Amino acid sequence: MHLLVQSIIVGVLTGGVYALMATGQTLIFGVMRVINVAQGAMVILAAYLSSSLFSSFGIDPFLSILITAPILFVLGFTIHATFLRRLRPEQNELSLLIMFAVALGIEGVLGLAYSTTYRSIQTGYVNRSFTVAGYHVALVRLLAFGLSAVILVGLFLLLNRSRFGRSVRATVQNPTSARLLGVEPTRVAAIGFGLGAATAAAAGAVYGLVYPFNGGSHYDLISRLLSIVMLGGLGSLGGSVIAALVMGVAESVVAANVSPIWSSFTFFAVLLAVLVFRPRGLFGVAQRGAL
Amino acid sequence: MGALLSLDGVVAGYNQGLVLKGVNLSVDASEVTCLIGPNGAGKSTVLKTVSGLLKPISGTVCFDSEDITSLSTHERLRRGIVHVPQDRSLFPAMTVWDNVLMGAHIVRDHAAIRSRLATVVEMFPIVERRRQAHAGSLSGGEQKIVEIARTMMLDPKLILLDEPSIGLDPRSRRLVFDTIRELTKAGRTVLLVEQNARSGLAVAQHGAILEGGVVKLEGTGLSLLDDPLVAQLYLGAVAPTTSVASRATGVLPSPNSISALKEPQ
Ligand SMILES: Nc1ncnc2c1ncn2[C@@H]1O[C@H](COP(=O)(O)OP(=O)(O)OP(=O)(O)O)[C@@H](O)[C@H]1O
Ligand SMILES: [Mg+2]
Repeated sequence: MHLLVQSIIVGVLTGGVYALMATGQTLIFGVMRVINVAQGAMVILAAYLSSSLFSSFGIDPFLSILITAPILFVLGFTIHATFLRRLRPEQNELSLLIMFAVALGIEGVLGLAYSTTYRSIQTGYVNRSFTVAGYHVALVRLLAFGLSAVILVGLFLLLNRSRFGRSVRATVQNPTSARLLGVEPTRVAAIGFGLGAATAAAAGAVYGLVYPFNGGSHYDLISRLLSIVMLGGLGSLGGSVIAALVMGVAESVVAANVSPIWSSFTFFAVLLAVLVFRPRGLFGVAQRGAL
Repeated sequence: MGALLSLDGVVAGYNQGLVLKGVNLSVDASEVTCLIGPNGAGKSTVLKTVSGLLKPISGTVCFDSEDITSLSTHERLRRGIVHVPQDRSLFPAMTVWDNVLMGAHIVRDHAAIRSRLATVVEMFPIVERRRQAHAGSLSGGEQKIVEIARTMMLDPKLILLDEPSIGLDPRSRRLVFDTIRELTKAGRTVLLVEQNARSGLAVAQHGAILEGGVVKLEGTGLSLLDDPLVAQLYLGAVAPTTSVASRATGVLPSPNSISALKEPQ
């Protein structure tokens, strides 16, 4: 029983970080109908950036997000402006290939700039932990969870309470109508893409603190993220957060109580089960594309 | 009073070919002008060239004595032209209130937004009554009213309405047409496209018939309603005064024969 609760705690904390990554991807899918298979690569890129900022300048990974987030925002904005904006609606499938090429490009650049050996960000506090009611909580994971929660709430408020957020949701729900009201859909899409990429900056810093990584780590990451956003019902922010928590817990419980070998398989087992019984993910049509 | 909007020799189309082949049309201020014509005639396309969704290949669109042919949708909104398209245009997963606020997307003046909201709520009580409802949960008729209400957030001069009564029950349809009348009383100008030609012409001071990519016939709403040929060709079924001659022969005059009777001025 103790082991189960302990693994659920770890799962929830990990799920929070997954939620952050999946949210960026959901946002990008919402504004562009693009499945961003480069989201994992962007997270790893950000992990390297935070790692370098720490080793070269001693900047704390959490603080480094203030530098890496604008960089990734510009990267996302540029990818949109250079490749995606030109696509006509009927060429939308091409976007998958483009984003795959972007992922490979990032992986290649990371391979050139850094060696392929695994690294991790070793701050003074990475191994610190404390005990609550007999349960063990790692400090970085708790901080990571807290950061994710803060960013998610901020994103939610931005989308639901601000003028820009309204125009994003409007573009997602009815692009022509949004245009008729003076929204510039390509601009909204570019900014949405940039924001989605910027969340990868935060996720990357946290990822680098918790897991060892190298340039190829994004394959593993993206397969998890795709399972999560499918489970959440593509395009639903709330859905992707809940799906991320479900997957995080499932993975952790299996790893601790069955075997770590089966933990990544858990993702696909849960996904398959959901797709068989609820083919549109947890949050069916009503939520799809509504953001 | 001069024309608020005038189209002069507008030629426009899509990849597949030309749809408008030289449309001349003028819309007078504070009036309802109703454009009718068969399916596929290009009525919606005319509205798109006015709101800027589609750029004409040639010809000019003038609004308020200014050539707006090359202006963007956004710039035309600023000049007071709003377009309510034929398909449902509310954002279904947003609340009614947020939908209405979206109508003022380009307006930065908060005081203006507040005072227009007050006007909209007064003119369209449904906006207040269902403010927290998701727009997608309203009936088709309610959605249409909210779409029209939303245009008022821009304090528009010209409202383009594309088949607002389509798919509505008689009561909602009446409500929509009453609303259109209200709009002109409040000094707005309306360019209305209506499949429901009889009701459309009845609220209109001015009517025009689009066919084959050109305006075939223009006149006052009443004169078109009373025209026996128009009645037979475009209003369907029984006209107020049915042409005895064509009934006797059982042959409908071809649409082209209209132009022999009346040329647009
Ligand atoms: N986006 C588009 N792309 C290509 N062709 C189009 C497009 N929109 C309309 N058309 C074509 O242009 C022609 C005129 O269409 P339009 O929608 O203007 O007609 P309409 O008079 O409004 O018809 P309806 O009464 O059915 O609404 C049609 O042949 C239609 O197939
Ligand atoms: Mg039409």
